[in-house]
Amino acid sequence: MDDEDIEKAVLAYLRKKGLKLTELSLQEEQNRLSTDASHSRSQNVADSYFDGYSRLRSWAYNSLDSYKHELLRVLYPVFIHCFMDLVAQGYMQEARTFFHTFREDHELMHLRDLQKLEGILSPSHLEEMELARFSRQNKVKIRLCEYSYGLLLQFIHKTKSFDMLGVINQHINFEVTPGQPTSISDDSEAVSLIGASQDLAREINQKELHWGLLEDSVEERMEKTLSDLDKTEVEGNKEGDPEENNKVKKTDGNKQGTSVSNKKKKDKAVGATGKSTRSETSMVSVAPRVKSELTLPQLPPEVELSILEDLRNRAQLNSLALPSVSFYTFLHTHNGLNCSAISHDGSLVAGGFSDSSVKVWDMAKIGQPGRASNSQGENGSMQGMHSLASDETKRPYSLLQGHSGPVYSVSFSPFADFLLSSSSDNTIRLWSTRLNANLVCYKGHNFPVWDAQFSPVGHYFATASHDRTARVWSMERIQPLRVMAGHLSDVDCVQWHPNCNYIVTGSSDKTVRLWDVQSGECARLFIGHRSMVLSLAISPDGRFMASGDEDGTIIMWDLSTGRSVSPIMGHNSCVWTLAFSCEGTLLASGSADCMVKLWDVTSSMKALKTDESKSGPTSRLRLLKALPTKSTPVYNLRFSRRNLLFAAGALSAGS
Amino acid sequence: MSIVPKETIEVIAQSIGIPNLSPDVALALAPDVEYRLREIIQEAIKCMRHSKRTVLTADDMDSALNLRNIEPIYGFASGDPLKFKRAIGHKDLFYLDDREVDFKEVIDAPLPKAPLDTAVVTHWLAIEGVQPAIPENPPIEAIVAPQDGKKMDHGKDDSLPVDLKLPIKHVLSRELQLYFDKIGELILLRPETALFKEALLSLAKDSGLHPLVPYFSYFIADEVSRNLSNLSILFALMRVLKSLLSNPHIHIEPYLHQMMPSIITCLVAKRVGEQVSDNHWAIRNFAAKLVSSICRRYGHVYHNLQSRLTRTLIHAFLDPSKALTQHYGAIRGLSALGPSVVRLLILPNLETYMQLLDPEMQLDKQKNELKRKEAWRVYGSLLLAAGSCLYDRLRLFPGLLSPPDIQPWKTNKKIALTHLPNNKRKASSTLNSHQPPTKKLAVDPTGANSQFPSTDGPATSSSCGSNPNHHHSHNSSNNNSSSAGNITNTNTNINNATGSGALAQRMAGSAVLRQAWKEDMDAGHLLSSLHSLFGEGVFSFIQPADMHLFI
Repeated sequence: MDDEDIEKAVLAYLRKKGLKLTELSLQEEQNRLSTDASHSRSQNVADSYFDGYSRLRSWAYNSLDSYKHELLRVLYPVFIHCFMDLVAQGYMQEARTFFHTFREDHELMHLRDLQKLEGILSPSHLEEMELARFSRQNKVKIRLCEYSYGLLLQFIHKTKSFDMLGVINQHINFEVTPGQPTSISDDSEAVSLIGASQDLAREINQKELHWGLLEDSVEERMEKTLSDLDKTEVEGNKEGDPEENNKVKKTDGNKQGTSVSNKKKKDKAVGATGKSTRSETSMVSVAPRVKSELTLPQLPPEVELSILEDLRNRAQLNSLALPSVSFYTFLHTHNGLNCSAISHDGSLVAGGFSDSSVKVWDMAKIGQPGRASNSQGENGSMQGMHSLASDETKRPYSLLQGHSGPVYSVSFSPFADFLLSSSSDNTIRLWSTRLNANLVCYKGHNFPVWDAQFSPVGHYFATASHDRTARVWSMERIQPLRVMAGHLSDVDCVQWHPNCNYIVTGSSDKTVRLWDVQSGECARLFIGHRSMVLSLAISPDGRFMASGDEDGTIIMWDLSTGRSVSPIMGHNSCVWTLAFSCEGTLLASGSADCMVKLWDVTSSMKALKTDESKSGPTSRLRLLKALPTKSTPVYNLRFSRRNLLFAAGALSAGS
Repeated sequence: MSIVPKETIEVIAQSIGIPNLSPDVALALAPDVEYRLREIIQEAIKCMRHSKRTVLTADDMDSALNLRNIEPIYGFASGDPLKFKRAIGHKDLFYLDDREVDFKEVIDAPLPKAPLDTAVVTHWLAIEGVQPAIPENPPIEAIVAPQDGKKMDHGKDDSLPVDLKLPIKHVLSRELQLYFDKIGELILLRPETALFKEALLSLAKDSGLHPLVPYFSYFIADEVSRNLSNLSILFALMRVLKSLLSNPHIHIEPYLHQMMPSIITCLVAKRVGEQVSDNHWAIRNFAAKLVSSICRRYGHVYHNLQSRLTRTLIHAFLDPSKALTQHYGAIRGLSALGPSVVRLLILPNLETYMQLLDPEMQLDKQKNELKRKEAWRVYGSLLLAAGSCLYDRLRLFPGLLSPPDIQPWKTNKKIALTHLPNNKRKASSTLNSHQPPTKKLAVDPTGANSQFPSTDGPATSSSCGSNPNHHHSHNSSNNNSSSAGNITNTNTNINNATGSGALAQRMAGSAVLRQAWKEDMDAGHLLSSLHSLFGEGVFSFIQPADMHLFI
């Protein structure tokens, strides 16, 4: 080097001349200069890594949904190699700040690796640590589809982030596949080093989950009274004959007991029917009980009575006894029907239309009043509805207007006195079915609200939106109580867990998440769908969840472990809706291929319980029955409390 | 690099007023354009899914643009699916056929019908897991076939995701095509030949004709509407229909709804045949027979078939503005549907209808002989309908024919008493209108005839001697008709005379009939008594054995 030669020559010259002071000052100055340069250089290098990475990151997060998961996969190797590059070049301080700034992104997925890498404090550590050495020496293989690869290259060239290009070239091997992007589930093994998002799922799914049912629910109380009754009966029979006095006492005691609650008395009256139902309903009671973390609204006594009545009259369903299906067909919708909802007793049917209107039909009043509403109706909702149609002489339905954009979902409250609708105008509206009027307009989402669902106890509701969040609201507040953020794309559907402590959301990022309502944290992440998740249902015992997607796949999940139980190609087209029967023995699915299908849940779940040790799909849902409709896609399914299945859909003449 | 060629960018640039865009810029813009397009399409697909559709519409694109805060593209939100046409000479270039619309045309065009309002109907998709065979549910065999088709479609989708779905072609073998053409030719050109009869036989017996059924049903519907004036073709078409219906290998239910309109047209059309002299009555009768056979065979499958049919026919029957020929067809059709239909729908309206028909049948009121003839035809069909209904009732209560012999007084008296005011009123109203024409016809029977209601009333009201009186009325009516026949052997034929003789009795009879069915209890007794009021015209509907019993 010329500079060094000159320096050496100058120094030699100074020594020769004996100019010691000059020599010292020169050396001093040289030292100062060199540290300065190194400092400024280090600043530059760190900044460029920092900028390059953060730009790549924000770009990847904002890319197209279908390619996003592939591009996100690139981020982690780039991150750790940027970090290690900085360390290797000796910029320890910068490396640490870099690491801590972006650590969060990967914490969920690669926490252990990050903890290890955190310990790297000097270039020598890179050599020592096995993980670091391994990853420096080996290239990561990432499979990308042609278009995402193109996008990535284009981005790097456009932004001229050559540091990133260097890192990528040095450490990542792209395996470019033609055609569509691979789905998430495929690539879990493909990414050797990182283990992809499966790790994240594993991490999240370690969390504790109380999937049991609520304590002190109506069902449980009924169960208890029944078993009490049974016990006393049995005891009475045992001891009855030899000691008559005793028996009298017992029955006296029994009477006292019954007089305490009128419910008990009622149960006794129908003890005969109750006994037969008990064997089935006890399946529900097997589930552990949990305390509610939300304050739950009180049930009005008459509603409770009607529920008890329904429970007693419930038809038992299993693989041999299939339900009756009553189908509500919407005619002349002119392709405008976006969603529908059916009240628990089938007496009210609501439709949300693309012309911003919501229409509610009272089935007791039109056409065939004898059908479903007779067997199911005459509950709390019916009394209120009389005032509703008195002013509606012309139209057979009540028209609810208020939204200013297509209505994407409607949901009845558990006792059908309220109706919730969500729309592309970013709002959710609460309607009273008794007054036929809008009560509240909830604003909070920034983009169209795709789904809104009342909780099983009413009062609370959850919404899902294009703004990638799900929110939990209570009826009395116009601001959301919780905002669940975490999905990487639109949240398309939402459903409540029967114990109201959790909600599940399905998203366009092809995952399903379970959120703790109290903490607002993600408690489970379910990966396995290959396309947008459209429908969700949770079994009444709270342990299993079914999810349906765009391709027609239905996956059963075990909430406690977070594992998928049985993926099946259930339909040829979008699965719009799923519903469990009241005892959880049957699953009904409705699809755009104009079919209602009934699946046997019990047999497949039993198989699961026997060989629980095995991982992966151990069994499949068994198809019990496929019920085709006459060119009517099935939009909505609902089991009544008596296990009658209601289905709704719009007749599509065109298809 | 990008699927958007830079030429496209250049063209777009020119269209918005940038004449010379440098190729570099175009090249740089192309990937971004592609990215934006994909972005919009992705959002549009989300909107489509949330509208629960599987077909992307222009509205979805608009909502997607709205989501991105971009002004939507106007002019595509017609609601109809867009129809793309293939550009000639280019394999994969499509364009929208966007015709220029003349304002005047649009303004002058009649307003389109208001679209029907949304409605909800319910049905049972399944009862305890079993699908009931109702029209709301798809037919059973239709289930199997489409599934295969869908699977095939699905497979196709997988391999070629951007491939356009072509309309499914229904493949007909050449033999079947030839067969179809031949039959069509026979029907239209040589319906009288022996060959055609052979063809009918083949249609009724051959298996493997099922693929042709939709074509035949379309052909028949088409030709019926075109050849209403050509009786022979109409007859041939109806015969073909009959053969098809009788073919045991053809599953014709799904096509019934297409065939029924043409049959009904033949039945109740205002004018069938070219000239008035044509025997259009025969084709109406034939069509009525077809209708009845269809109802008998498919009535239980198509539960609303009969009710719809009846509604159409009764509508034609009760509309006084319709021509008599149409009334005739409607009556024939209704009576072909069975006696209970007649009893429930025709008989209650008989009285009022008679008042309408009456002037048409009379020589002095209706000068047009043709019209009068038509009226008599209608009258004859009514008589037939009422008679067969009566016959049916009698057959239903065979044991009830004897009781009147044992205790005829009581029942007869009762009827007579209950209907006395009715009879009287009618007698007064009808007599006035009847006397002049009947007088003209024949003086002698008219007297007996006109006396009949008035004498019958008082006679039965006095508690004794109703039976002889009864028989007398028989005789008188018998005499009446025969003598009338003798006297008037002009072109007002026998039918005419019998009818006129029985007319007044029928009027009374109809009232009695109505009342009789109101009192279900002793329906049989009443029937036996009232059919005595009917006259000879009715006797032909009673089996000889019964008749013997009765007389």
